[in-house]
Amino acid sequence: MTFRTCLRTGAAALALVASGAAHAEVTVLGWPGGPEEAALRAVTEIYNARADLAEENKVELLFTSRDGFFDKLQVDLAAGSTAFDINLIATYSIGRYAPFMDPVTLSDQAGAVFGDTVLKTMQFDGQQYGVPTDLSLHFLYYRTDLIDALLADDAAKAKYSEIAMKHLGKAMEPKAPADWTWEDFVANALYFTQSINPESPTRYGTVIQAKNLLFNMMVFHSWPRSYGGNWMDDTGAITVDSEAFRTALSQARMLFDLGATPPDSTSYEYAEANAAFASGQVAAMVQWNAAAGELTAAQAATGTTAPPAGPDGRFTHIHGLGLGLNKAAENKDGAIAFLQWLSTEEAALAYARAGGAPGLASATAAKLAADRPDLVQVGEFASTYGFVMNGGTSENALSVYEVQAKEFTGYWAGTQDLDTALKNTAAAMTDLLK
Amino acid sequence: MTPGRSVENALLAGPMVLFLLAVLGFPTVLSMIYGFSETGFQTLTAPQFSGLKNFRDVTADPAFWQAAWFSLRFGAITALLQCGLGLALAVHLAPLARAHGWTVAILIIPMIVAPAMMGLMYRLVLHEFAGPVPHYLYSWFGWSPSFLGPANVFKTVVLAETLQWTPFAFLLFLTACQSIPQDLREAAAVDGTRPWRLFWKIELPLMMPTVFVALFIRFIDGFRVFDNIYTLVGAGPGGSTTSISIYIYETFLRRGEIGKALAAAILLFVTAFVLLSVAQRLLRGRAP
Repeated sequence: MTFRTCLRTGAAALALVASGAAHAEVTVLGWPGGPEEAALRAVTEIYNARADLAEENKVELLFTSRDGFFDKLQVDLAAGSTAFDINLIATYSIGRYAPFMDPVTLSDQAGAVFGDTVLKTMQFDGQQYGVPTDLSLHFLYYRTDLIDALLADDAAKAKYSEIAMKHLGKAMEPKAPADWTWEDFVANALYFTQSINPESPTRYGTVIQAKNLLFNMMVFHSWPRSYGGNWMDDTGAITVDSEAFRTALSQARMLFDLGATPPDSTSYEYAEANAAFASGQVAAMVQWNAAAGELTAAQAATGTTAPPAGPDGRFTHIHGLGLGLNKAAENKDGAIAFLQWLSTEEAALAYARAGGAPGLASATAAKLAADRPDLVQVGEFASTYGFVMNGGTSENALSVYEVQAKEFTGYWAGTQDLDTALKNTAAAMTDLLK
Repeated sequence: MTPGRSVENALLAGPMVLFLLAVLGFPTVLSMIYGFSETGFQTLTAPQFSGLKNFRDVTADPAFWQAAWFSLRFGAITALLQCGLGLALAVHLAPLARAHGWTVAILIIPMIVAPAMMGLMYRLVLHEFAGPVPHYLYSWFGWSPSFLGPANVFKTVVLAETLQWTPFAFLLFLTACQSIPQDLREAAAVDGTRPWRLFWKIELPLMMPTVFVALFIRFIDGFRVFDNIYTLVGAGPGGSTTSISIYIYETFLRRGEIGKALAAAILLFVTAFVLLSVAQRLLRGRAP
């Protein structure tokens, strides 16, 4: 092959690439695997089938692995990647990605479809950075058969009170889970632990997923929040070293010390905790709403309600996954049009029917009552009990979760005391949230 | 060497040198720049020179020393266990391996499995409710240790690493053992030397260079361990299973402190380099 031939071949290849680039589409980097991917594929098909949609604004989807997804996304965004126009964002990472994204204006219907609480999960510095697609919060999962049996048996109630008196210092009565405080949760966990109550039908009363992992802190946060805990007060002062966090952390530690949660649970994350509950050897647990299908399929007698209450009320951590606009997008107009359509009622209902879990306002959720009754409960809990910690969408929110995961799991595992854990956490958070 | 031959050599080696510079040199230089700079994801293209600040931050971070201590203990214990077991297996199984070469292939199977996969496999096998090991222990004895609980997690990760990499040490020692001239053994046998004395006085001294190399390689590998521990138990409660590599990964990607992470990586590199130099000197000193 001569030099001239090489040049000709190269030019032809370049022309081919250039013609491909001119055929611009809207590329969406979505959350891979699971119901989120299936739902996104379904709504994309509906969108692409619209007669008024120009060919160059059709949407194509891009999926990578979930493993290290947010780390890889951060590197891509920081490098100004143009491989995608729209990318996934999560409540806890908006602040980190915001410098590389553009705020978006949603459709006029968005407020009515999602409600303010859910829209806020996609906001940073007062600006909307994405369309909320999936909402995550927590349920209290419990074995209805065990609770019913306990409430119907006087001898069992007496034993329950005796155990509560011994470990919590008060003779408590068993209650229905919808009325539980966190003390009831602890007392119930102790009662259903075989090493404490040899008559217990389950080996453990609960399972706390306590791997040193940031997502596990989100599951835990409903606990201190119900005692009035928060990351920061209104002046921006860090308030993690508080009575609320001390109480919640100590109560959880008691469950580890007394063997009411599996000893290995310091290495558990979502899947392992679900496996423990599904085995029938755990009486109750606080877990993500996404686990509802899996847990009820494994244990038919599984009830769900909101997490237990504390003196300040009943709370559940909420965060959303959503889709936002890459600052370096090559087809911004097409991307904005898709995001605006995604925030309409038509798209939200289609997304939900295809298996997604959008946080919908009650009027919108009511339209899905027959197909997706779980979304009615999600919408109700989100609007009634949902919270985001002060600073929970900041640039370093993920790092704050990381610090807490390291320090709090260290306390639960007995590698450090409570004062040290809270002192280290407060110092790191002061630095991260300044 | 003639001038023509020198040009030819340069032309032949050129592409390889350029490839190495691109693949190894560029990241190394970039790491050095970032290691001495104030850098985050927002300022990747405009790092601000900050002198030794990152190195001061790293050395003042208790988590770094906790990770260094973990890596040191893990590297030393696993290297000793793997080499001890590998040596025993090699000496014991050398006649079998000589007669039936295929047995070696079976013994080195664990080495072929990707470490991350090994971590995931143990995570499943040792899970109290889904894993077969605790299941059978509960069925037979009504009790099972919490393999991944705070009390046992270090022993478990050491065991997992030892089971996977002992075959590597075994392979090295088997080769060394088989390279010892048979005449020496026969002469010793004629003199009435007992097997233990034969091993202690003849075979082991001849295998010592290999022992040093194996210990060194396994120590370095254990010291920089990442994938199997990360997939099995992550950074551990309170950072109790955080190795230096996990510390660097989490500092870089999870906390976004790029300069600090690369400063730690440079310290790790320098430490490995110094250890390598010392080991080489020791080996040269022992060479016949």
